[in-house]
Amino acid sequence: MKFRIKFNKKNYLKYISHLDLMRLFERTFNRIDAPIEYSQGFNPKPKISIASPLSLGIESEEEWMDIELLEKVDEKDFIKNVNSILPSDIQILETEYIEDNTPIAALINWSVYEIYFLLLEDKKKIELENIIEDWLKQEEILIERYRKKGRNKILVTENIIELMKDIELKSLKNNEVVLKGKLKIGESGTLRPRDFINAFIADNNLNIDIDSISFKRISQII
Amino acid sequence: MINKDKLDRVLKKVDRPARYIGMEINSVKKDFKDAKVKFVFSYPDIYEVGMSHLGLHILYNLINDREDYLCERVFCPWTDMEKAMREEKLPLYSLESKEEIINFDFLGFTLQYEMSYTNILNMLDLAHIPFLSKDRDEDFPLIIGGGPCAFNPEPLADFFDLFLIGEGEERTLDIIDIYKEHREKGYDKDEFLKTISRLEGVYVPKFYTTDYNEDGTIKSMTAIEGAPSIVKKNRVRDIENMYYHEKMIIPYIETVHDRVVFELFRGCTRGCRFCQAGMIYRPIRERSPQKLKEIAAKIVENTGYENISLSSLSSCDYSQLEFLIKDLVNEFEEKKVGVTLPSLRLDSFSIDILKELEKVRKSGLTFAPEAGSQRLRDVINKGVDEEDLIKAVSYAFKEGWSKIKLYFMIGLPTETDNDLIGIKELSYLVKELFFNRPKEEIRGSFKLTSSASCFVPKAFTPFQWIGQDSIEEFKRKIMLVKDSIKDRKITFNYHNPEVSYMEAIFARGDRRLSATLIRAFEKGCKFDGWGEHFKFETWLEALAETDIDGDFYALRKRELDEKLPWDFIDCGVSKKYLIKEYKRAIIGELTDDCRDNCNVCGIDNCEMRGVKSEI
Ligand code: SF4
Repeated sequence: MKFRIKFNKKNYLKYISHLDLMRLFERTFNRIDAPIEYSQGFNPKPKISIASPLSLGIESEEEWMDIELLEKVDEKDFIKNVNSILPSDIQILETEYIEDNTPIAALINWSVYEIYFLLLEDKKKIELENIIEDWLKQEEILIERYRKKGRNKILVTENIIELMKDIELKSLKNNEVVLKGKLKIGESGTLRPRDFINAFIADNNLNIDIDSISFKRISQII
Repeated sequence: MINKDKLDRVLKKVDRPARYIGMEINSVKKDFKDAKVKFVFSYPDIYEVGMSHLGLHILYNLINDREDYLCERVFCPWTDMEKAMREEKLPLYSLESKEEIINFDFLGFTLQYEMSYTNILNMLDLAHIPFLSKDRDEDFPLIIGGGPCAFNPEPLADFFDLFLIGEGEERTLDIIDIYKEHREKGYDKDEFLKTISRLEGVYVPKFYTTDYNEDGTIKSMTAIEGAPSIVKKNRVRDIENMYYHEKMIIPYIETVHDRVVFELFRGCTRGCRFCQAGMIYRPIRERSPQKLKEIAAKIVENTGYENISLSSLSSCDYSQLEFLIKDLVNEFEEKKVGVTLPSLRLDSFSIDILKELEKVRKSGLTFAPEAGSQRLRDVINKGVDEEDLIKAVSYAFKEGWSKIKLYFMIGLPTETDNDLIGIKELSYLVKELFFNRPKEEIRGSFKLTSSASCFVPKAFTPFQWIGQDSIEEFKRKIMLVKDSIKDRKITFNYHNPEVSYMEAIFARGDRRLSATLIRAFEKGCKFDGWGEHFKFETWLEALAETDIDGDFYALRKRELDEKLPWDFIDCGVSKKYLIKEYKRAIIGELTDDCRDNCNVCGIDNCEMRGVKSEI
């Protein structure tokens, strides 16, 4: 049966990769002897799937994972046991048994991000807000990115205007900027926060400290 | 604590940042300020390599189990990380508290291979700690060295405040205890060092002076300030009840050995004459199967690892191996935990054991005949013959294995071109064994990899007096073997003789090499054990600029009465025995396994002596 888990990934643990995270959960579930279903075949793997994996270096307050259980577990105990093994910066927040067979990945269309960076020039709040507004008014915002084509990677130009919404300036203090917005994720297109911010900075000729950029996923929505 | 914003900036730029964050399951985070003594386990190589080192897990838990002490970890940052740290002026820090290394009381370096020495200097440099012991006063951490290379500590003598010779885990705790007392009553570095220099297994280089003869050999080494003139190695007497690690830190990233590891026994009874570990870790001391099961169960429970690896010098020699393996496999099969043996010996290759193990998984097999001819295998006392190999390999093929690796050494004493051709012949023989079977039995695609390393004579072995082959000679020999193998199913690999030459210099070097190490570091040498970073030209320059003749250390044959830089250490095995073994080697005389016959090597109260005759 499908068991849906919401968890977070914070602080330094944003630096562990998706594969590392999978291994971490696998071992943790092993340790508490969770009745997880394994795939058939020569190299059986536990049935764990994490929706829209995070890129390395991005924090998240809300990640989703489905696992297949052979029998019901007590949710409270499960959370307590797993969390006592997991590091404090990766913790299970909620669980739920799911009747519907749609995998979690198919349900999510948007990721809400906060993007932080340091401006190296003085800008007033209203200036920055205007910049955002004008930028979003355009019919197209083009970025270049590599796409896999068969075996090769080719550079393609893409209009990303439809892949973002509700972009706003969340705060500006001491030249520290926090933007907030929804970026598309999933089968109908994906805009990675890194591509988004690069385009935003380049198009508007902002002078920022590139090494200061950081991202946090706030939630994932339908 | 270091500046976290800086750290964040740095981590964003580097490959595999998880190497540098700590916070793994089973890592221990104590309050830094509260700890009475702060020790940082320092591994002079990258995280993945260091985390696969069993000694780390033992010492880490041993110290952290003591409430008022703290043990954290630091590894050598990979080059991208080092660059980023230097750019941001971020000092070397510990993974647990993210505390500057300079704020610890002890840095404990483990010395596993000579080619990691420049990394030690690099780490000290990144920590803003002066290289030389004499330049460090009470405000700096004490630098301790341990591990196999501490059996010839002299090339590092100027850098380290003290070395622990032999099995130093428990001695480390004694030293920390004494340090704590000294701190409480007003600490003076020299006083402290004097006190601990009296302990068995402790070597404080500053209390020893060396004089040289005109020809560059050692005239004398004198102990001063009441330090003992002979330093006896540390030896665990009661292995059954000695401390063991109940937990292992579980890295987020994949490491070399992502599994439960513990030792079946310490020491080895084989007496291979090239093997340093086989001499310095005598005598053999076995844990009981009950104890081992207890250890396995604890670590499996505390880690959730999928694999158990039984680590020892020659694990197949464990006297109750079959029984133990059956037990472990039965116990853990249900949990899908597999059991592996890191080394298989041709002669103790047990059909039943392999069958037990393969229930869980079947990968490639590795054997180490070490030399191509029987004559040369007798010289090195590798007690295996062609029959053993044939039997073992044939069985493996019959059971479905098709990928085999063979390990050899080139440049062994008395070696001739005929012995080298033996490497080819043995490789071809293995191939024939695979294909010379009824067609219907042949399964899988055959692949044989024969690897050759260049022999490096080591201290405390019967070959410690031997001159190494020159680089040219190594190259000639390698080409000889390489050109003789003309089969696409056989791959021949070999080590870089230039690295082995440098290794040989430091393996038997003396104090005068400290200057060379510093110069090499200044000229950019680091990660010398990693092919892509090894800069031989730079090393040659460093040698020349510090007036060191590398050939003197690597290639020169020593007279038996020459004073050797490590002669002040008592490794348990007597020099008389090493000389006897050396002489027997040259005439190809075999020496018995200790299990069959005690060869009176000098070990006192040997646990193994007479074991067989009792049965
Ligand atoms: S004393 Fe005898 S049995 Fe013990 S290690 Fe030495 S040779 Fe082997």
